[in-house]
Amino acid sequence: MAKPVEVESSFVSDNARQAEALSVSASTPVADGPPSAGDQPKWASPEFGAIYEEHSRQIYYVALRFLGDPTQAEDATHDVFLKAYRKLGEFRGESAMRTWLYRITINHCRNVLQTWHQRNMVSNADDSLWETAVAAAESPLRVLEIKELGQRIQQTLDGLPPEYRLLLLLVADQQMSYKEIATLTEQSPDAVRGKLHRARKAFIAQFQKFT
Amino acid sequence: MNPKIPKLQQQQKQEAVEQTGQLRTAREFASVEEMLRDDAAQTSPPPRLAHRVAESIAKEPKPERSWWQRLFSRRSADL
Repeated sequence: MAKPVEVESSFVSDNARQAEALSVSASTPVADGPPSAGDQPKWASPEFGAIYEEHSRQIYYVALRFLGDPTQAEDATHDVFLKAYRKLGEFRGESAMRTWLYRITINHCRNVLQTWHQRNMVSNADDSLWETAVAAAESPLRVLEIKELGQRIQQTLDGLPPEYRLLLLLVADQQMSYKEIATLTEQSPDAVRGKLHRARKAFIAQFQKFT
Repeated sequence: MNPKIPKLQQQQKQEAVEQTGQLRTAREFASVEEMLRDDAAQTSPPPRLAHRVAESIAKEPKPERSWWQRLFSRRSADL
């Protein structure tokens, strides 16, 4: 079973232990000037850069659909990977890296949702959500179709209880089994199965309202 | 890696399809999960995010190895 990793508290102290693979100079300069579309980030730790490349899309997606706001999702993804970097020395490989990152993401997003700002912030989702989301090669009709479907999915998820929303987002990741989701959400696999059954029904009912 | 996982996930997929029926949009999806996977595939983090993370990590203090990593590297050197 995965060892729970506490990430709720403040960031770890300066002498935080990090993985051996990351013991390169952390003061290596990064990209000069503002990034352009073709720029690749210069990672102080190429190994951590590879972790980011492999998992960032899915972590960002879960944060986006769970929080419902692209700006908050971007900030959350940034904070999740920074926490992961600081805590990487405590990751022993007893669970998959993806599962471990999800644990940090879930805890972080729950905290965000509980803050006063979250309850009072005006979302700018409609304006910026799709600016970077859709591949440039897509036809205008397809872009519109993707945009509308994405908005409908977000509206549907927003109408579900947070627990259902989270379970659906996790189970949509093919790397995640019921058992891993159960461990992440601290319940039995049977409970996950039952709640997912209800979550799917609730999603479909809600989705059809936006036809 | 647990060899049972692919079989379990096949069961998960079957359950999802049976419980969902078909979701009709401009495209048809066999399950909620399939729709969300398609949505995820169309959603990329902003390119600037990788730069933000890389810059933040560059400001972090030089990482230290954990006790178990030091132990294993010492044993490897002894062999």
